[in-house]
Amino acid sequence: MALSHAISVLLDDDLLTFNRVIGVVRRRNLPISSITAGATQAPGVSRLTFIMQADEASADRLVRQIQKSFGVREAVMFPAANAVTREIALIRVRAPAGDRADLLGVVSQHEGSVVDEGPGSWIVEIAGAAARTESCIRALERFGILEIARSGSVAMRGADGSSPSPAPNNPSEAVL
Amino acid sequence: MSETLTGAQILCRELMAAGVDVIFGYPGGAIMPFYHALPEYPGLRHILVRHEQAAAHAADGYARASGRVGVCVATSGPGATNLVTGLATAHMDSSPVLAITGQVSRPMIGRDAFQETDIIGLTLPITKYNHLVQDVSELAASVRDAVKIALSGRPGPVLLDVPKDVQNQKAVYEPPPASPRAGAPGQLGAAPGLTPGASLGNTEEGIREAAQLIADAERPLLMIGHGVILGNAYAEVRALAEKTGIPVITTLLGISAFPESHPLHLGMPGMHGEVHVNRAIQHADLIVGIGLRFDDRVTGNVAAFAPRAKIVHIELDRAEIGKNIRVALGIVGDAREITRRLVQAVEPRNCEPWREEIQSFVRPRAEAFSGDLSPEAILASIYDVTGGRCTIVTDVGQHQMWVAKLFPYERANTHITSGGLGTMGFAVPAGIGVHVARPDESVWAISGDGGFQMNMAEIATMVQEGLSVKMAIFNNGYLGMVRQWQQFFHEKRYSCTPIWSPDYVKLAEAYGIAGWRVESRTQLGDVVQRANAHPGPALVEFVIAQEANVYPMIPPGGSLSEPIEAEPVAAPVV
Repeated sequence: MALSHAISVLLDDDLLTFNRVIGVVRRRNLPISSITAGATQAPGVSRLTFIMQADEASADRLVRQIQKSFGVREAVMFPAANAVTREIALIRVRAPAGDRADLLGVVSQHEGSVVDEGPGSWIVEIAGAAARTESCIRALERFGILEIARSGSVAMRGADGSSPSPAPNNPSEAVL
Repeated sequence: MSETLTGAQILCRELMAAGVDVIFGYPGGAIMPFYHALPEYPGLRHILVRHEQAAAHAADGYARASGRVGVCVATSGPGATNLVTGLATAHMDSSPVLAITGQVSRPMIGRDAFQETDIIGLTLPITKYNHLVQDVSELAASVRDAVKIALSGRPGPVLLDVPKDVQNQKAVYEPPPASPRAGAPGQLGAAPGLTPGASLGNTEEGIREAAQLIADAERPLLMIGHGVILGNAYAEVRALAEKTGIPVITTLLGISAFPESHPLHLGMPGMHGEVHVNRAIQHADLIVGIGLRFDDRVTGNVAAFAPRAKIVHIELDRAEIGKNIRVALGIVGDAREITRRLVQAVEPRNCEPWREEIQSFVRPRAEAFSGDLSPEAILASIYDVTGGRCTIVTDVGQHQMWVAKLFPYERANTHITSGGLGTMGFAVPAGIGVHVARPDESVWAISGDGGFQMNMAEIATMVQEGLSVKMAIFNNGYLGMVRQWQQFFHEKRYSCTPIWSPDYVKLAEAYGIAGWRVESRTQLGDVVQRANAHPGPALVEFVIAQEANVYPMIPPGGSLSEPIEAEPVAAPVV
C-alpha cells in the first residue's frame, strides 16, 4: 500500500533549480498529488514541498536523486501522516439567494471565512489540513461551486521529534 | 593583474587556466565571437569536426582516456541540439565533458530568434549541471564552477550556454579567488558543495561489516565497474582480490579495470556474459560491488538476480545504492579509498573450493561462426600486432560484445565504449578524442557497418587534423544485434535490418586514407600489421559471416540462470 509521503526540498531560489528538481520527479513517473514552492527564513533559499503517493523506499530513492541536483541544499522525506501539512484554498461559490446563514454556517464549521462578497459570487477561504478543504468543498457543493484554487500542501515534520524520518544525510554505514 | 577582455577572450583564458589544451567544435553564428578570439590563444588546439555530435563524442573519448575534462563547442540552435546525443552518452557513463554553446543575444532570447533553442531546458536531464551565462561578470566563475562540477565526485557532463552579446561584452578580468563558492552542504543558506552525495563520512563500521561478510562467505564475488577506472582503484581492487582470493567480475564499463589474464578474473556478467560468470553470480552468497550501478543489462530480471547473495555496494554516488537492487550493506565513498581501507580490514583467505566450483561451470565458447574470419581471429590479430599496447574504442552492437568478451585487456582503461546509452556511431568520433589524449599509442575504433555509417564523415576530421585513428568495420551486411533479436524473439522477421554499405576501400581512397578489405584469415595479420603501422588514419573492413550471433544471451527481462547458449531450434514453417 503506497502511503502518502511529504518531500521537502531546500533549494536555491531560481527557476532553473526548480526545473531541475521537478524534472527529477517527472522522469520517475511518480504520482505527485501536490507541489508547493515558497520562501524560507534564509534569503535566496526556497522550499519545494511535494506530496506523493509512494512507499518509503521509492520516496527515499527520489530524495537521494534530488539531493544530487545542483542548487539543492537539503532534501528530506517523511510520512505525511506524521507531519504537519497545511494548505489554503479559495473557493468561489454562487452568492446565496436567501440562505446566507446556511452558507456562513458551513464556512464557520470548517473554520473558514468569507473573504470577498459580490452580487454573483462569494469567495470562501479555507486553511488547514487537506482533509478540511475536501470536507468544506463537499459541503459547499450544494450552493454551487464556480471555481476552486488550492495552494497545495506545505509540510513540516512533527515538533515532538517522534515523527520525522529524514533521509540520512550521511548514510556511510546505512544498512539498507 | 587585471585587464579588460571580451567575454570570448575570458572564455579562452579560463579554459586555459583549467588546463584545457584541446577543443572539439564547430563554428556558427552565435559562437562567432569565441571563434574570433580563439586564434589569439594558440595553446587551445581546435579540432574541427564534421557534425557537432562528433564533437561531444570526441570530448567524451578524450575525457575517458585522459581523466581530464573534455571540451566541445557548438553554436546555438542546431549546433547545440546536435550535441545532445553525445552529452546523454557522457551522462550515462559518468564522463566529464564541458559543452560550450553559443546562444542568441540576450535581447533576442525568448523571441524564437534565428537559431535559438532552449538548450538549457533540452539538456537539463542529461547534464550534471548547466547554466545560461547572464552577464560577462559571471562568466569566469561559471567556467570554473562548470569544470569543477564535471570532474568532481561522480563525473559528468556540464553545459554553459553563452549568449553572443555576452561573448562580446567587455569586462575587467582578473585571476579569480580559488574557491568562488563556499559554505557547507546541507546547511540552510549555505551554497551547495560541489560533490553532493560524495562525502566519505565515517565509514569505519561499514568497512568492518563488509570485512566480516567477506570472512563469513563461502562463495564471494567481486563485481567491479566504471567507478574503479574513474577512481583509479586498480591496485586496491587487485590487492583486495589477491588477499582474499575472491574471483573478479568486470562489467562492460569495468573491463580493463582488472587484467584479463589474472587467474582471479572471471569475465563479463549479464545479458551477454559467459555462462560461468552468470552462474557464479546465481550461486554466490556474497557479491561485493565496487563502482557500478547494477544496471539491467547486468542483472537481467532483478527478482531472480543472485538469489543467494548478500550484496555489499561500494559506490561514490549514494543515490545508486539500493536504486536497482536491494543491498545488505551500502558504503558511500570513493572506490579507491574505500577499497584501500577494506584491504586493510579483511583477513587473508582463499576461495579454492568456490573457484573450483566456478571452473565446473565453464562452457566451451558458444559463438558459431561460419567462414574462417571470426571476430575472435580479428581481435587476436589486433592484439598480436599491437602487442596489446593499444586502446580499443567500440561502437554498439554485436562487435561491442565480441570485443568485450574476447579482447585480452591487460592494461588499465584501454577499453572505451558507450555502455549506458548504447550510442551507435560513438566509436569513430570517440576514437578521435582518445587518439588526441593518447597520441603515442594505437587507437582502434571498432564499429559495425551500421554504426560506422552513422559518423563516417569524421574521416575528414582525421585527415584535416592529422589524426591517426585506425578504424575497423565488422561488416556483416546487417544491423547485426537487432537482427539477432529478430532471429530469437521476432520470428526471424528481418525487418529493416539488412544494410547496404558503400565500397569502404574506395571510400578510404576518396578521403585519401589507407584502406583495406579483409575477407579471409590469410590476409588478416598482414593487413592489420600494415594498417597499424601506417602513419595516418587507416580503415580496415572485415567481411564477417552475415548471421553470426553473440552467445550466450540472456533474453531481455530473463533470469541469469536461463541463457540462450546456441542457435534456437527453428520454428516450423507453416
